Amino acid sequence: MIKKTLQRFYLIFIIILLYAPIITLMALSFNSSKSRAKWGGFTTKWYVRLFQDDQIMNALYTTLEIALLSALIATLLGTAGAIGIHAFRRKYRTLMMGVTNIPMLNADIVTGISLMLLFIAFRFSLGFSTILVAHITFNIPYVILSVMPRLKQTNINTYEAALDLGASPLYAFFKVVFPDILPGVSSGFLLAFTMSLDDFVITHFTKGPGVDTLSTKIYSEVRKGIRPEIYALSTIMFLSVLLLLVLVNIAPDEKEDRRKILSAATVRRHKISRFLLRKVIPATIIAVVTVGGIFYSLKSDRTGGDNQVIVYNWGEYLDPEAIEIFEEETGINVVYEEFETNEIMYPKIQSGAIAYDVVCPSDYMIERMIKNDLLAEINYDNIPNIKNIGDVYMEQSRQFDPDNKYSVPYLWGTVGILYNKKLVDEPIDSWSVLWDEKYKDSILMQDSVRDAFGVALKYLGYSLNSTDLDELTAAQKLLIEQKPLVQAYVVDQVRDKMIGNEAAIGVIYSGEAIYTQLENPDLEYVIPKEGSNIWIDSLVIPKNAKHKENAEAFINFICRPEIAKMNFDYITYSIPNDAGRELIEEPALRNSKIAFPDAKELERCETFKFLGDENDAVYNEMWREVKSR
Amino acid sequence: MKNKDRKVKRLLAGPYVIWAVGFIIIPLLMIFYYGLTDKEGYFTFINLAKITTPENLKSLGLALLLSLISTVICLILAYPLCMVLSNLKVNKSSFIVLIFILPMWMNFLLRTLAWQNLLERNGIINIVLGFFHLPALEIINTPYAIILGMVYDFLPFMVLPIYNVLSKIDKDLIAAARDLGANSVQTFLRIILPLSVPGIISGVTMVFVPALTTFVISDLLGGSKILLIGNVIEQEFKQGSNWNAGSGMSLVLMIFIIFSMALIAKYDKDGEGTAF
Repeated sequence: MIKKTLQRFYLIFIIILLYAPIITLMALSFNSSKSRAKWGGFTTKWYVRLFQDDQIMNALYTTLEIALLSALIATLLGTAGAIGIHAFRRKYRTLMMGVTNIPMLNADIVTGISLMLLFIAFRFSLGFSTILVAHITFNIPYVILSVMPRLKQTNINTYEAALDLGASPLYAFFKVVFPDILPGVSSGFLLAFTMSLDDFVITHFTKGPGVDTLSTKIYSEVRKGIRPEIYALSTIMFLSVLLLLVLVNIAPDEKEDRRKILSAATVRRHKISRFLLRKVIPATIIAVVTVGGIFYSLKSDRTGGDNQVIVYNWGEYLDPEAIEIFEEETGINVVYEEFETNEIMYPKIQSGAIAYDVVCPSDYMIERMIKNDLLAEINYDNIPNIKNIGDVYMEQSRQFDPDNKYSVPYLWGTVGILYNKKLVDEPIDSWSVLWDEKYKDSILMQDSVRDAFGVALKYLGYSLNSTDLDELTAAQKLLIEQKPLVQAYVVDQVRDKMIGNEAAIGVIYSGEAIYTQLENPDLEYVIPKEGSNIWIDSLVIPKNAKHKENAEAFINFICRPEIAKMNFDYITYSIPNDAGRELIEEPALRNSKIAFPDAKELERCETFKFLGDENDAVYNEMWREVKSR
Repeated sequence: MKNKDRKVKRLLAGPYVIWAVGFIIIPLLMIFYYGLTDKEGYFTFINLAKITTPENLKSLGLALLLSLISTVICLILAYPLCMVLSNLKVNKSSFIVLIFILPMWMNFLLRTLAWQNLLERNGIINIVLGFFHLPALEIINTPYAIILGMVYDFLPFMVLPIYNVLSKIDKDLIAAARDLGANSVQTFLRIILPLSVPGIISGVTMVFVPALTTFVISDLLGGSKILLIGNVIEQEFKQGSNWNAGSGMSLVLMIFIIFSMALIAKYDKDGEGTAF
């Protein structure tokens, strides 16, 4: 009795552990605030918006399709493989098991990049099929590792007995061995399916333009905050699977029927409901998913048409409505793809795996791309709207694009300090506050090499593009001193942590600052007096672009004042479009010192420059020393 | 006859072997190429040697320690759980096993972010604790939070294989042991535990390896203040765009893991004794 209760408690404990985050996510799907750090009241609007969002629904179908197909194929290959390997001589068996473990033990990014290189080398065009191959590859080990222990447990004697009794090997296998290993096979399938649902990094490197899975959508959204529609979708997916499980399990048990004495009618009724609940419903669901997937992929197969423009932009960095307007006006199809960081974008451009038409890198990355001859000169005759871009920004762009030949400024901003007026009592105007003992464990520092060193270098009065070893050592010393005071090194979570009052002070981008203020009015943003970083993300056209004129038409469209304004409303990042700024209705935003600081303040700011691979390595090494302290 | 049967079985591995050569070995060779050359394509050991710098050694050591602790905790949590599950009625248990896999169908990143919501200083757990006037839980941005994250994320990988082997153990064996006078501890140590070794090994592999190379968990729950080897490799590829150094370090890590696998395989001799 006590044992039973103990067991029950234990089960409940584990289930709470496993489901606590799930319930949190479900709760967030009803949160009317966009930030996950703040409860803004109950709403169901995200569920409504979810079904209007073609992009997400499309990604859902692609995800399910890939997960299902890759898990099926991996289970077939893996189970056959496991049986074969099991019959190998010990030496070869160990070798094959070692090989099998490789996809599991490599960091995802290594597997992803090496597969991408393989596909490029063999001229596979990146798309749905390459994702599928990659997923099968990393799924197989999970199948083999699930089937292997079962195989080891199988009793060889029963199989031989079957053979002795005259069964053919095939028949004996399916009658004797297979039922024994079936649970291993099905859990292998389940694991494979799950891993495929979850993967991001490998998918990112092996996918082509316009093919998106849920994971790639989620990751590209992290920078701007995950859209609550995603929580809503996860909740629906989760609940429907749960429902399916319950349905399958309320089906009357066959063995139970045999034990009890039941009337023939009851038995037949049970049989029918078993058939319905266990076979028909799951089969229907699978059929719906497959048919729906084929339907959606046919519908969205726009990469085939020639009148298109392939855009590669930051996640959540353009109002989707703008794309629709552009398509309607010009008849050009926009294939839209998103990336998460400059560094994850760069190898895809450099390798030439996909011929993008418009890309939106940041300043220093543009300089790097120009130096490596990856960009095409833009024909400004096709972009008359460039007149709307303020001279200041064209001037700033010269720091990385000396002749204004390759880039058109898209969005810009500064890096500064965001602080909580309730948690900080003095006015803040200097980086020095990041070294103030008073705020120990309440400081959020940027977790990227250049941004972190930029802060320290500026505080010391040096250039944030310094390559002087003494200056860098001094900055590094400062960062090491600061580490005990830092609560966390973060990139995107500064936003949510500051909104949720987790920290008093954080280093943040100006565009994010406006958004956080809307969610938490206690927050204030300042560009420190020592100066800071001003960054510009610009639109460029890669050299291997196939639709250069369409690309220029797209850039021209983006430079239109109404579109620029629409974009500002959507993402709250500063626009370089002076005419567009005039259209912003809200005077507080139009004249916001955060979005549009005075020219005087900007004089103290610098853009990042590309420092060359060697200097980058020095920075990285020094930053790692800071982090590992 | 038996030999012929073995040969037929070996053929079954054919498609997988071909697949493995094409999509595992060849990409692996590319990593070798990058790991053993510098930016200009000349042969060098510099990338491999990078692992010996004090920071990298420290991050490797920390990663080993944390993933080892997580693996042990996973094993301690999963084993009794699987014992309980395997004693349930067959029909019900498949349902319950699925219950343990189901959380993984929510995206990994979303779940880890949700842990942040739960663990933070003003997070959900602390609000609940504060309500009962209990002391606050302050483990966010510490190694403990990383361990929690690893255990949470990889526990199902431990549960599945162990459950699989436990549910396959013949109940008559246990009954026989009891009849012959073994107490429950003896039955467990002499019968159940040895029989479940293959499952444990699979589980340990599936937890230890991904835990060792993770970087997302240490970033999100450790506040990026704790640098693990996964973070170092990630940084080389992403922030440094230095594929050579990243590949070199992955190679070292890979050799290291293969070595420990071989070690495990050595102790697995009994489990493999009954190959057919």
